[in-house]
Amino acid sequence: MSDVSPLEMEVAKLIIRTLTLKVDPAQIQPEEPLFGDGLGLDSIDALELSLAISQSYGHQIRSDDPDTVATFASLRSLCQSIEKHRTK
Amino acid sequence: MNTAALLGPYHADRVLAWENGHSRTYGHFLSDVGALADLLPEKPTVINLADDRYRFLVGFAAALVRGQTTLLPPSRAPGALAQIAREYGNSYCLIDGTEHVEQLPFYQIPAGTGSPTGTVKVPQIPINHTALVAFTSGSTGNPHPHSKTWGSLVAVARSTGTRLGLKTSEQVTVVATVPHHHMYGLEASMMLPLQYGMPFHVGRPLFPEDVRLALADVPSPRMLVTTPLHIRACVTARSRLPPVECILSATAPLSRSLAKQAETLFQTTVYEVYGFTEAGSVATRRTVAENAWHVLDGITLLQESAGCSLHAPYLLGPIPFPDLVSLQKPDRFLLHGRGEDLVNIGGHRGSLSDLSQKLSEIEGVQDGVFFLPDDTGASVTRLIAFVVAPGKAAEHILSALRTVIDPVFLPRPLHLVPHLPRNETGKLTRDALLGLMQDLQKEERHGI
Repeated sequence: MSDVSPLEMEVAKLIIRTLTLKVDPAQIQPEEPLFGDGLGLDSIDALELSLAISQSYGHQIRSDDPDTVATFASLRSLCQSIEKHRTK
Repeated sequence: MNTAALLGPYHADRVLAWENGHSRTYGHFLSDVGALADLLPEKPTVINLADDRYRFLVGFAAALVRGQTTLLPPSRAPGALAQIAREYGNSYCLIDGTEHVEQLPFYQIPAGTGSPTGTVKVPQIPINHTALVAFTSGSTGNPHPHSKTWGSLVAVARSTGTRLGLKTSEQVTVVATVPHHHMYGLEASMMLPLQYGMPFHVGRPLFPEDVRLALADVPSPRMLVTTPLHIRACVTARSRLPPVECILSATAPLSRSLAKQAETLFQTTVYEVYGFTEAGSVATRRTVAENAWHVLDGITLLQESAGCSLHAPYLLGPIPFPDLVSLQKPDRFLLHGRGEDLVNIGGHRGSLSDLSQKLSEIEGVQDGVFFLPDDTGASVTRLIAFVVAPGKAAEHILSALRTVIDPVFLPRPLHLVPHLPRNETGKLTRDALLGLMQDLQKEERHGI
């Protein structure tokens, strides 16, 4: 895993723990899609993940915010959104 | 010919659909339905892929007016759509975006440009007309079709409304987190409002914050049509939802403690709906107060030696329960879980043997099986799969699976193994699979 920020590593671990994935956090490429062909996550995962993120960072994710259309596109975009909106 | 009206009481200026504070009235709706019905091709069946609830309903109603049948594919996986398209070759597709079925001609449902003109006649639909065909995954690998007459959809909507105490004079707005491409979503978020002259919100909110905004987007009183997953998310997030008169939950069992938390936090009443594709909605219960399910008016329960079945005047014959149930009173039953082959993952019902069959059909797979582990404590327990596929990578098998099954059933994880622990008759027992899973977990812990 190259050029990974500490937050990206932390969120990668949160994703794996929350969704009980069988992946090494270092294997999650920060620019790769989280859903569909990437990690193959679906809307149930998105819901689980949104709860974990709101509990850990106080960021309430919503679908219709123009900024967050791409929130779940990749680990990097998710972390950028958390960085921008976090309250803890 | 016996008919039932397309909608309940007709008032042209009553709102049917809310979207970002804008409304479409029942008058607009009938005008949109009439305009689209004139444009539809002369074909018996249609796959309606519209994601917008209003546009889907315009397409569904226009098809009804034309005497056509809407097909509800078991999932949006390209392979599943292609299979339905092959079986119903003389179909077309209605869309509201870019997604369509490659093999079929497709038509856009207009964004709703019609304006009410003069006196509009409410269409009457023959009650024996096959309004839609819903599919469930069978144990053979082919989806099973279940035909629904227009009369059965109307009857279920009316009896559900009666149970919830809805009145045609009251305007309760429905906000739904569930898709309308499945029976529960279609019944509760479309047929119910339509038969009671009530409005709905066109969207499908997912995150707790989406749910809050969608509810805030519509006037009070409100009804939330949802699932235990979304309720849990809203409760965990301690969402400050606008007042909700009632929450309807289906697709998976709702725990009494979660129902209690939701009732307290959102100052509301939570009802669960039990149903299955073959019969539609069957029974309700107020989860905080009752264990037994109260069947909807018109449904009779039959206890037979082979198990329980139900009958209703709008069904062609008795339908066996797919789950284990026991009768308490003539109109009350207890639910004891599912038959061994059936699984319910996040509200999607599937058959383990069907999934295993699809897995075995993938190129390079010599043997394979899906397996539901015991409850892991996560809100959704996912399936796992054991696969014998020498020389193939797990990623290769997963991407092939993704084209033929609902993504919710994708295994977490998929284990590649040298062989499956089949017994002398070739069967895979649950104990053998549990043993295999434990062996693999031990190996992982020891870093083998």
